Amino acid sequence: MVYTKRSPALLIMGILFLLIGISVQFGLQSGLIKYLSIDKHMTEMLSVSYTAATAGILVGLWNLFGTHKEGHLDYYLSTVGGVVFILLIAMGIRWYLDPWVAVLSKAMGPVMADKYLHDVLGLNYVVLGIIAGIITVNLFKIPAWAENGVRLSRLGLKTGVILLGTLYSLAELAHLGQLSVVLIGFFVLGSVGLVLWMGQRRHISNSMGGVLSAGMGVCGVSATVAASPVVNAKSAEIAYTIGTILLWGVGCMFLFPIVGHIFHMGPVQFGAWAGTGILNSAQVAGAALAFQPNGIETLKVAEIFNITRVLFLPIIVLWLAVWYVRREAGAEQVNAGRVIFEKFPMFVVGFIMLFALSSTGLFAPANHYQGQYFDNNIKAEKLLSEKDVGLLKGEAAKVQRNDQNEALQRLMDNRKVMGIDDDDTLRGLVNAKTLGKEANDILKKAHKAVRHTAKKIAAFRDWITVLFAFGLTGLGMQITMSSIRQAGGQPLVIGGVVGTLKAVLSLLVILLFVRETI
Amino acid sequence: MSDPNSQDIDLQVEAGAKFHRGSALSIFTTDRREDFVALVFALLIALGVYLFV
Repeated sequence: MVYTKRSPALLIMGILFLLIGISVQFGLQSGLIKYLSIDKHMTEMLSVSYTAATAGILVGLWNLFGTHKEGHLDYYLSTVGGVVFILLIAMGIRWYLDPWVAVLSKAMGPVMADKYLHDVLGLNYVVLGIIAGIITVNLFKIPAWAENGVRLSRLGLKTGVILLGTLYSLAELAHLGQLSVVLIGFFVLGSVGLVLWMGQRRHISNSMGGVLSAGMGVCGVSATVAASPVVNAKSAEIAYTIGTILLWGVGCMFLFPIVGHIFHMGPVQFGAWAGTGILNSAQVAGAALAFQPNGIETLKVAEIFNITRVLFLPIIVLWLAVWYVRREAGAEQVNAGRVIFEKFPMFVVGFIMLFALSSTGLFAPANHYQGQYFDNNIKAEKLLSEKDVGLLKGEAAKVQRNDQNEALQRLMDNRKVMGIDDDDTLRGLVNAKTLGKEANDILKKAHKAVRHTAKKIAAFRDWITVLFAFGLTGLGMQITMSSIRQAGGQPLVIGGVVGTLKAVLSLLVILLFVRETI
Repeated sequence: MSDPNSQDIDLQVEAGAKFHRGSALSIFTTDRREDFVALVFALLIALGVYLFV
């Protein structure tokens, strides 16, 4: 089979990207860039545009005028059309549509506290990209020349997840790790147990209950696939489970950010909730980015929780193997160790590998925290002024907590933040809005003076953003109405009950016990 | 066609034998292979960032 479709589409898209790049580079879009406030995207606009233009024009010419024979070259180059197609939609949304929606929304004024409509509804490049993907596949169909490339979107997501490992350091994971292990452990084991119990009560087959419990408890699609041979699940049962998970995840992806804004959750709280309550890795990332489109703090926390959840997979697979063998006296014996070895998602290993490299200080000082590192050997002009210190002293009486009082005192004595713990404590004080605006601004200035951004980590952030924008737009192109319809029946009822319980309970636990430290 | 246990089973049924390699959601024959390719890409990007940024 020859996959390359002779079409001018790729060449045209390559020329379009070239025009975008040239017009940005030579200032032809400066008015638009100013109106949309997208000057922060300019480096990305140039690099992505010229890369996509080069690939699009070269492969587009080969598509049109080359001779194509069945083989690896034809198979892999035929994906370029779809990749450039997704990139054009994803980047068009990220660079133009998303900022335009923000401009319109801001023109309407705040609708909830200090949040604008697009913030509350989570209307940003991630959500708009997924919606564009869903509309494309269900209304217009994917063009034949793009079909093969759309199948690369999950590769983009996995690559992005692996690269996320570079943003963490051991110190940071140790801080969040305990919290994530306790929370995730409780909710993963609870969800699996609840699905198995409900499945028994509602008389669904053991294999259906087993595969659904892994999907609802651990990490959605990957867990479903990993657990399916353990419980001898049939193809239709796997399909039902995946349909249920995707349907639930799509709903969560839109609802979670709205609820997060209503409850004024911070990045740590929302990341913990999304990583606990949403099942599919891509949808966790979608919700986190939708909640905080202009930063990566929420995404990082959510991914830590998500990865922690994935790490429970071997335990769940073992549990299901024992459970299934006991329930089905005549069931074929399954080697659980072999199943884990064969099915464990390797991208999680990649994430851990890059996290380990990052912790050695290869990309930023080893104690870096979210790509930023602490160093209070600062120049004299970065120290707080006497006037700043005087203003802080005037407001210090408002601070009730001892740790915040002590950190504030050390700051006033030394005119700079004296340690990482002090910095975290003072950021908590800022978030709590205990002090007035001017005092908070001084604390923010003191924080900025001792936190430095590593250039390499900033480059990784850019890569991750583009990979996720690409992957999630492509993910939208794979959500067909028929795959959503497949979620009907008992699995949907059980999945809905367990998913809702998990989301509500984890929200309560997080709001009560998780303190915002960023 | 891909492994019947692949996570793409729902779309495979819908798409029929549309792709003789991989599945409806991936160009790779197995999820494990896709994971390895993602790992290679990520390491190449990391190397590039390490050397040139």
